[in-house]
Amino acid sequence: MSASIQNLSGLDRVIHEPARLMLVTLLSAVESADFLYLLKESDLTKGNLSVHLSKLEEAGYIEAEKTFRGKMPHTEYRLTSKGKSAFDQYRKNLSSVLGVKSK
Amino acid sequence: MQTHVQIDSVLKRARGYWFVDGFTEIAAGVFFILLAGILLLQGNMFQASNPSHFLSVVGVISLVKLFGFLVTVLVLWWLKDNFTYPRTGFVRGNRLTAAQVLTLLRNAILFLLLPIFGLLTVSVLLATVGGVLSFMPVWFPIGVGTIWAVLCILAGEWTGVVRFRVLGILFLLAGLAVGIWQWTVGLSVFPADVRPALNQPAVQEVINRGLSGLGVLVLISGLPLVISGLVTFLQYRKANPTPYVEEA
Repeated sequence: MSASIQNLSGLDRVIHEPARLMLVTLLSAVESADFLYLLKESDLTKGNLSVHLSKLEEAGYIEAEKTFRGKMPHTEYRLTSKGKSAFDQYRKNLSSVLGVKSK
Repeated sequence: MQTHVQIDSVLKRARGYWFVDGFTEIAAGVFFILLAGILLLQGNMFQASNPSHFLSVVGVISLVKLFGFLVTVLVLWWLKDNFTYPRTGFVRGNRLTAAQVLTLLRNAILFLLLPIFGLLTVSVLLATVGGVLSFMPVWFPIGVGTIWAVLCILAGEWTGVVRFRVLGILFLLAGLAVGIWQWTVGLSVFPADVRPALNQPAVQEVINRGLSGLGVLVLISGLPLVISGLVTFLQYRKANPTPYVEEA
């Protein structure tokens, strides 16, 4: 088995799940985003989104900041440095695997 | 490869969120149209009797640009805060690092200095400022249109917003059209022997034509911006008619 194929088993399972991959990708392109933006962009239900965000938070990949905008509670999520490196590594591993596959 | 393409498209979508409502294009377009009005007014009324008068015109235009930009940014923030964020959410753009700010500043300075150095070099070679001025009305709009086109197409590539590429092509065509128009009315494409004194009728004519040409370019670039912004805004409003409300 080539080293590139072995990378497939090394893919980060927290990020590899499609909904979480989308959330991490969205957050990687911005400084932070609120719950409503992630809800609209991911097209997940509120419950599903909350579960995936909790899993990412538990893994230390994102952090939440609760504030108020006027009188409304407002939660912003941002990718942590651990989350950024995990996402970069995930992309590298995936590219390596796909590179072998496309040959 | 499919997963990779999806990651890229999601990244671009997040980067392009600032432009999702069309407000930026409407604001930029209105700003362009106001600026065009000032340029056309100056081009038609300005009598370059002395260099200080010419400099005062440049000063007025610079001040209008600065204040116009600040007002546009404030209006945009207000609109997004009251219309866009309650409908599709709030996003904070990536902060620039000190190194990125320095690189941007360096590039901006180079961007401004290069044409000036080019102009000075040509001036030295031709030994007359008027000689350089004489072909500016033809080449300046073409240069400005090309720069806007490149910036717009790059922004389109970065954000995945297709309409930016269309706008880029329109800017390029607008610059070319104004340049060709200036040429067809008899302005020189190559340096002509015009004396540098600003009070000479030939130089006055060249400056007025230059300002008018730039005004027309800014105007015909502003109109598609407003139209594109309005269409985007209407589509956005149709997709998100009311602010998001928490379900009970």
